Parts: sequence; C-alpha cells; structure tokens
Amino acid sequence: MPNPYSGGPDRSMIDLVGGDGGEINPAIYVDEDIYRRELEQVFGRSWLFLAHGSQIPETGDFVSTYMGEDPVLVVRQKDGSVVAFLNQCRHRGMRICRTDCGKARSFTCSYHGWAYDISGRLVHVPLEQEAYHGEIDKDAWGPVRVPRIASFRNLIFGCWDEAAPDLETYIGDAAWYMDVMFDRSGAGSELISGVHKWVIPCNWKLAAEQFASDMYHAPYSHLSAVLASLPDDASPADADWPQEGAQFRAPRFGHGTGFFASERGWEFNVNTMGRTIVDYLAGKYSDAAVQHLGELRGRQITGQHMTIFPNFSFLPGINALRVWHPRGPQEMEVWSMILVDSDAPDEVKAAYRDRITRMFGTSGIFEQDDGENWVEVQRVLRGHKTRQTSLNASMGKGHTEDRSEYPGIVSGMFSEEAARGFYQHWARMMAGQSWEELAQEPASACGKPDSGS
Amino acid sequence: MAFIASVEKSDLPLGAILKVETEVGPVAVCNVDGEFFAFSDTCTHGNWSLSEGWLDGHVIECTLHMAKFDIRTGCVLSPPATCPLKTFAVEDVDGEIRIELPAPDEGGEKK
Ligand code: FES
Ligand code: FES
Ligand SMILES: [Fe+2]
Repeated sequence: MPNPYSGGPDRSMIDLVGGDGGEINPAIYVDEDIYRRELEQVFGRSWLFLAHGSQIPETGDFVSTYMGEDPVLVVRQKDGSVVAFLNQCRHRGMRICRTDCGKARSFTCSYHGWAYDISGRLVHVPLEQEAYHGEIDKDAWGPVRVPRIASFRNLIFGCWDEAAPDLETYIGDAAWYMDVMFDRSGAGSELISGVHKWVIPCNWKLAAEQFASDMYHAPYSHLSAVLASLPDDASPADADWPQEGAQFRAPRFGHGTGFFASERGWEFNVNTMGRTIVDYLAGKYSDAAVQHLGELRGRQITGQHMTIFPNFSFLPGINALRVWHPRGPQEMEVWSMILVDSDAPDEVKAAYRDRITRMFGTSGIFEQDDGENWVEVQRVLRGHKTRQTSLNASMGKGHTEDRSEYPGIVSGMFSEEAARGFYQHWARMMAGQSWEELAQEPASACGKPDSGS
Repeated sequence: MAFIASVEKSDLPLGAILKVETEVGPVAVCNVDGEFFAFSDTCTHGNWSLSEGWLDGHVIECTLHMAKFDIRTGCVLSPPATCPLKTFAVEDVDGEIRIELPAPDEGGEKK
C-alpha cells in the first residue's frame, strides 16, 4: 500500500529528503526555486516567532522583525494586545519604519509622508484634498496585517495562514520541553535587552536542524571550546559529559529537542558557564524550579537544544535564543538573544549576559564552532559533484524508545530522529499538503519503514 | 463670553499631556516644570492629535510629520505645518486647571 503521506500534490519535494527525511538532496540548501517556494509554503504558512513580550511592555512599544524575508512591525496596542503588519508602505512600497525597535505614537513613511497609527491604519495622506481630490479610500490602503497572532509563555508568534491550527496545537507536545526554559520557576521570563544580529553565508536549515536534533556534534565540534575553558590544573576528565539523555521528535509539525538527563545536573559545564549559573540551575537556587517542574525538568535535563519549526531555536539552561532569518538559499541572518527568569537574582542575570555572550554571542567560542561547520557545508556545495551527492540523516532510524516519562516520539540522545521529523515536515509543507494532511503523523515517524519511498 | 474647561491638577503630573474634548474641539493641556499650558490639540498640518506628540520643554512635536510648535505662543517652529496653533489661557484654581476658551461662534476651533 502506498504511504499516503509521502505522496500528495508534489512527490518530488518528498523525494528531496528521501521520503522520511533520512537522505538529503543538497539542492534544498542551494536551489533558488526551492527557496522561493520555501518562503511561500513554509514561511508563509507556519507559526513564526516574532518577539518576546518583555520587549514591548507598553502601548506603542514595537520591534521590527521578519517573517521569512517579509519585514513586519510588531506593536503593543492600547488594550494590551499585539498587532503585526508588513513594514511596507502601500503607496510605493517604502519600508515604513527603519529602526530596530522603540516606542511609537504613529508610523510615518519617510518617502512621501503617508502616516499610519500604531494598529497600522492609514490615518494621513499628504495633500489628500489637493492631490487626491479626496478620492482615496484610506481604510483600504493600510499595510497588510498578519492575520493571526498568539502567545505561548510570553513568546509572541504570528502566522499568515488562516487554515493553520492554533498555536497551542501547533506546539503540541513540544510545550513540555519548552517549559524547561520558558516556565522554569513559574515567575515568567524576560529578555536581556539588545538583540545581536549577524549574517553568515549558509542556509537557515543547517542551523535550525542542528538545534532540533544534533547532540552528536557537540563532543567533536566544541571540544576545543570546552578544553580552552578548563582551568590550568584541571584534568581532561573534568570535561566528561553525561552519557544519559534523550531526543524528542514532535509527532507533528517538525519540532525537535535533545538533552542530557542526569543526576549530575549542570556541574559538568561549570568551567564554561561559571559557578553562579550552575548553582542557579542545579544547585542552591534550583528548588523553586524542581517544585514547579519536578526533579527531571527542574534539575536533571541539561545541555538541551531545541527548535520550534521552522526557524526558532534555543538552548534551555544556557538560555540562548535564536531566530534564523532566511536571506536567500545561501545566507541567513542570525538574531541572537539571551533570556532570564524574571525572578532570577540580579547577579544571575548579569552572569547570563556575560557568560552566554562569551559562549554564543557574535564571536562566542561555541558560536564560532557551529558557524564554521555550517558555512563550510555551504561552501562545499559550490561544486558540481557535491550538489549531486546526497547526505545521510539516518542515525537511529527504527530505534525509537518507549519512555513513559517523556511525551512525543522519543529516541536516544544521539539520534537524527528529530532531524528526520524536521525535514519530513518541511518536505510535506513544500509539497503543498493541507493542514489536515500535515496533522496526520507520518508512518515513518514511529520507526516503521516508509513503505511509499 | 468665555467658556471654561477644566482638569484635575492631579491628573497632570510633570511632563504629561492630556486631551480634553471641549465645545470648540479637542484641546491639549500639559504640565511643563509645574507650569500649565493649553493649546488646540489638532495639528495645523493634518488631522492628528498633538497630545500624542513628543513634548520637549515648551516645544510640541507632531508624530506624523514632525511639525513643531511653541506651546506658549502657538508659533510654528518647524514645517510642514505653516499655520500657528491656537493657545488658551490657563488658571490654576485650588488644584483645578481651568482653560479659558472662546465661545464656539466667536471663531473657536473649526474641527
Ligand atoms: S512610499 Fe510611502 S508615502 Fe510614498
Ligand atoms: S499632521 Fe502634524 S505634522 Fe503633519
Ligand atoms: Fe553547537
């Protein structure tokens, strides 16, 4: 019987990832046509992270961000709600607001002065009587509104697609794993102000996929950063990482995470993260988290990496937060933020700012390792032969585990189950599957062979 | 004859601007270093509320196209506005800020 989930309107998209996400055709990282289709089918339909609520606490506070390559303004309204609209003037298409963030009473286009209120209504057209003879319908010419806005744990998401499931359904089982970071103490979270932004020449999926599924690279790619962080008198054994852990693949919609789970807590990472943060996470300050989330999520899950499909990634505990904005098939803009629990002591917040900038900031010692890998993967794909050569994402195929303590599809910590989930969902979206189809779990996700490929 | 509009002084902390609807149209009243000023709330360039604007000393800047006015005299300090703002006398009577307005038929605000 053909697998109904690997066929659909466009079989070729599914083939690009080997049917079940386990074999990757590198065209998905370089091809212009695939990229344009991605902006439409993936970024035009998925829930996308826009801003953290703490960035825009008061009326008129706004951030300027992107949904894929579409610039949007995200603005707090008088009634506390959030509105987002395209940062594109309806007169001749100028960017309405050219600053990164701020507090606005209105937005005025600097080209010819069309002006919009904070909800994106066109409120003023210069020379409306004299030049337009009073004939322009201002209500019809506001910037295009993002039709759906929703929040989860103060993370504001937007979605262009009226047919998409609500945000809660979209996040699904991934919520349990997100709470390790976003609902640690029950007091809520906030961003340390300032977004670091940089551009690197690689496809956005290389980063998003790695954060979803790749614990495998850490002991190799990051070895030098770990060793460099050891004090002179330390033995290499002090850099010994926990061996137990798990990986989660969302049954639907492409999210993934992996982590260590060990009674050793964060101690193994004290040389990179510092005593203050490690004590906060697993030592004397961690009782509130254990009370709120239980022992497993409050203290034992460490080193976690996670992606909410498509391009919102984070490292719970380390509290680095990322958006991978696509900039053509061969480039992305990284937006990097640091999150802290609202009720964390000041010295903990300060330690996060310093340590995480050092590890994962623009020139962070771990960031360099990851960026170098992604950029080299991309450079290698300048070749002719390299573009004909498929890549392997088969690790752990058919070896999901029954672990009642974890929701969703679970496998060992070293696995590419979540990568396959990411690529398979990507391919199904690219194939134009409807949300009803996308909501059905593909057979291959449970370790069963994909009979259709 | 003169009409009076009034606001509670306690509603106007330092640096605040309030919009008051009156018979002669909306009026903005503000507190600059403990001194109170009132002026027509509608920018003379377009139909936009100056109480939404940025107040810096005695200068109000319209957020729509950045016209600036001196709120003491109503003088235009920066285009695209060209017509001055109407200003109104203000009196502080026992914690009540009274704004003296012209009667609507005596050349009050048109809007
Ligand atoms: S392009 Fe914005 S006013 Fe003309
Ligand atoms: S409406 Fe005030 S400057 Fe244009
Ligand atoms: Fe990494």
